[in-house]
Amino acid sequence: MHFNSKDIDLYAGQKDYVDTAVVPLIELDLTDTGMKASAGASEYLQSLTVILEKQFKGRILLLPPISYARAADRSQLGQQLKKELSETAFKHVFYLTTDPKWRAVEELDNVLWLPAIPTGDMDQSFKKSVMEDQLRQVLPLFTKEWTHHS
Amino acid sequence: MSNNRVSRRQFLGYTLTGVGGFMAAGMLMPMVRFAVDPILQQHDAGDYVLTDKAVADITEEPVRVDFTYEQVDAWYTSEVTNSAWVYKEGDKLIALSPVCKHLGCTVNWGGDPENPTQFFCPCHAGRYEKNGQNIAGTPPLGPLDEYQVQEQDGFVAIGAVRENTLV
Ligand code: FES
Repeated sequence: MHFNSKDIDLYAGQKDYVDTAVVPLIELDLTDTGMKASAGASEYLQSLTVILEKQFKGRILLLPPISYARAADRSQLGQQLKKELSETAFKHVFYLTTDPKWRAVEELDNVLWLPAIPTGDMDQSFKKSVMEDQLRQVLPLFTKEWTHHS
Repeated sequence: MSNNRVSRRQFLGYTLTGVGGFMAAGMLMPMVRFAVDPILQQHDAGDYVLTDKAVADITEEPVRVDFTYEQVDAWYTSEVTNSAWVYKEGDKLIALSPVCKHLGCTVNWGGDPENPTQFFCPCHAGRYEKNGQNIAGTPPLGPLDEYQVQEQDGFVAIGAVRENTLV
């Protein structure tokens, strides 16, 4: 489900079934040299999470991407997010990011780090097959988590 | 005689109501139109979207066929790709919606190794027969929706979605 009022109405009545939150984490690099790659990574992560949502609509709530400055303190941000989510009914939380700095952060479990693929300049059908390929790699991580901890 | 005359006050009263009424209508009409339009739009999507899947390649085994169309959501136009599970029953083409009737996940044909000839929903293990009939005891409460489908120049074309007519 998406983080909009219509889906949240539905979510409120189906918390037992929608038991997984997905949090995209996106670093903003607004320097002249970094901006294009940063935009590409954000585009990639958002397309991926949108198709992931489509696949698992009835079980996950896709939160809006958390975007932060390059200098942001990841471990502090991680703690705050974790606390906010721990007060919800979600049984599983996945963080998806292309930002390698999260790999050093120990506060969060289930951080799926994916190297960004610059899909922005690809044509539609190629992009689609690349994204589906990516999705196929992520799906089993979800189903595995669900079967092992439910 | 003066009883029939419209007094100045009454006249003003009438006029204001009239103008106010017009203004209210003027404000409401577009709102009603905005509210109603999206509903209307879905229904006049009676035209078919041509896919790149040849009808000759379709067998009795459901395969995923993607189709893309433009969707206008308020001021934002986007390309939407949907898919259908398409198979043949005799010579007849059948296209089922992959959207699980429980909470909307995407179902897969043979997704559960123990039930290779059923559709399987990975979210809460919902299952459906090949014709879309939901299996009792699994979460979905209704059959998969069905797409209108036809052959166009040898290719599969997908039309509007409707309630399952096969079960
Ligand atoms: S969404 Fe398919 S079984 Fe729940």
